[in-house]
Amino acid sequence: MIRSLLMFLTLLAAAPALAQGKPPLVLAAASLQESMNAAADAWATAGHPRPVISFAASSALARQVEAGGDADLFVSADQEWMDALAAKRLIVPASRVTFLGNRLVVVAAKGNPVRIPVRPAAALAKVLAAGPLAMADAPVPAGKYGEAALRSLGVWATVAPKVVRGDSVRAALTLVERGAAPLGIVYATDAKASRAVRIAGVFPAGSHPPITYPVARLARSTNPEGEAFRRFLVSRAGKAVFVRYGFIAR
Amino acid sequence: MSFEIRVTKRLGEADVSLDLTAGEGLTVLFGPSGIGKTSVLNMVAGLLRPDAGRIAVAGRMLFDDADGIDVAPERRRAGYVFQEPRLFPHRRVRANLLYGAADEDGLAATVAMLGIGHLLDRWPRTLSGGEARRVAIGRALLSDPAFLLLDEPLSSLDRGRRGEIMDAILRVRDEAGLPILMVTHDPDEAERLGTRIVGV
Amino acid sequence: MLTAAEWGIVALSLKVGGVAMAAVLPIAFALAWVLARVRFPGKLLLDAVVHLPLVVPPVVTGWVLLLAFAPAGPLGGWLERWFGVSVLFRWTGAAIAAGIMALPLMVRAMRLSIEAVDRRLESAARTLGAGPTRVFWTLTLPLSLPGVLAGAVLGFARSIGEFGATITFVSNVPGETQTLPLAIYSALQQPGAEATVWRLSAMSVGLSLIALLVSELLTRRVRRGLHVL
Repeated sequence: MIRSLLMFLTLLAAAPALAQGKPPLVLAAASLQESMNAAADAWATAGHPRPVISFAASSALARQVEAGGDADLFVSADQEWMDALAAKRLIVPASRVTFLGNRLVVVAAKGNPVRIPVRPAAALAKVLAAGPLAMADAPVPAGKYGEAALRSLGVWATVAPKVVRGDSVRAALTLVERGAAPLGIVYATDAKASRAVRIAGVFPAGSHPPITYPVARLARSTNPEGEAFRRFLVSRAGKAVFVRYGFIAR
Repeated sequence: MSFEIRVTKRLGEADVSLDLTAGEGLTVLFGPSGIGKTSVLNMVAGLLRPDAGRIAVAGRMLFDDADGIDVAPERRRAGYVFQEPRLFPHRRVRANLLYGAADEDGLAATVAMLGIGHLLDRWPRTLSGGEARRVAIGRALLSDPAFLLLDEPLSSLDRGRRGEIMDAILRVRDEAGLPILMVTHDPDEAERLGTRIVGV
Repeated sequence: MLTAAEWGIVALSLKVGGVAMAAVLPIAFALAWVLARVRFPGKLLLDAVVHLPLVVPPVVTGWVLLLAFAPAGPLGGWLERWFGVSVLFRWTGAAIAAGIMALPLMVRAMRLSIEAVDRRLESAARTLGAGPTRVFWTLTLPLSLPGVLAGAVLGFARSIGEFGATITFVSNVPGETQTLPLAIYSALQQPGAEATVWRLSAMSVGLSLIALLVSELLTRRVRRGLHVL
């Protein structure tokens, strides 16, 4: 009785999608919001049910999967949480594909002509430490990558006192957009998404761990549309959507 | 005997105790304020449990600690008129009067006796002190009581209102024939209304 | 005005908040009545536990709910066995999170209004022949009703503002668990989505304001009622 009532209400909420197969539920890192939505739109235009996508922190999504939530795909902003799910046999190992990469950049407000010299270290430190430097919070992947890059370039000790933290990489971007900090360390995709900032410098790929995005099908997924959408994401056409948003196809 | 009350009760620092046997008519419990007269009425009504003793009214045992008898207040059939009217603010006068009544049979006669026919559709908050008290008396009478408990029914009323209420009580005493236990600290009231007066 | 998708978010928020309020109402009233009227050992502890969602970080509440309602968890396992349903990623889960977060506010308001009911009226009713059950239905409940409704509306306002526990517990699924605060959070993650943020925020503020006004009007009735007696 309760079950049928719940189902009825669920169907009411999802009525338009009934025409086709049941849409798959995709759990995706918050930083993929615009690009993943564009990919879902492209997939829907091709005549498939548009996937329902829940955007939240990779960590929150992974914990929901661990708790037993029934979703179809997981797209993580780093390998760590995908590894955690793999260790608990919650993903289908053969379906795991690292399909996207990203770069770490320094952004400045649009009108600011500053250029970031990567070497020598002293020159880099001088520019970055000139004012507040916006970065994502330390436990967030973008914060971790940024700190690793500054350490490997030998400027962390000088720059660290000038760093201001946003709770996400997008919060760090906002600090630069709003003029609260002249420079910020964000992903190339964030820089591309914002019309208020320009890329002032790109970190050498070797200065930080590779920034990669894995996708995998969840072990409990029973919806064939999930696997179909995963195949689209890792296909040439799928990746092309993400490249438009500044990702690197892998 | 109408009232047989032998109770003791400790209330804070004070001990209330009473040993009373009274016949028909209106028995006045007379004494200064604050010596537990209201507590005695509450014990008879079942709202306050005595520490020890027994209470029988009109031959019916209501409380006896020796036998473990303690009749619930809603089964004692006490018509209790409290010191303050305690009308239910969300019900009109008519609904207040009928709250404890089995049917509407007695309504017309009671309303006529108390002179409250014109108040039936009013809300309690619009009544004067004397009107509210008459409604409270009517409500108690209509609940088909086996006895009446009146707590300072004339206090805080002006002279004209006192006369009204006093007449009403006399009429109830003489027409309804119910045993009545009334509390007052006013010697004139005690004298005028009481069949007998018990000093506390 | 709002786009169709944004109206959908508002409708979902109202559904989640409404169901949360309706489901929690009797529980909150029972707790409020017990706290207002019954003396028992451990009352202080019960009072504290009821208030926990008010002070614990919402992410903690969300995480505890996630563990409890997971298929392997105590409540989730029970739902799965008896009804074959799971609340993870479902609006029912969002309603559970919203209801838990609203509970302390509802209990507080209801408890105050039950405590404000004049016990002397109840003893008067007892002497008129009404047993405890009739006293409850004819006096305690109607006299505390404005406060009970005020508490319910306050709980509803809290429900539709719930964020932390919801996103931790049932994720951010459009059409299922993406209520107004979650949609605003998502829009904030997108550069250039400021217009959406503004519209949804205005909607959120408007709904909260209406609910608070209704709650305040009802509370005033409670206070006026007190003067009547």
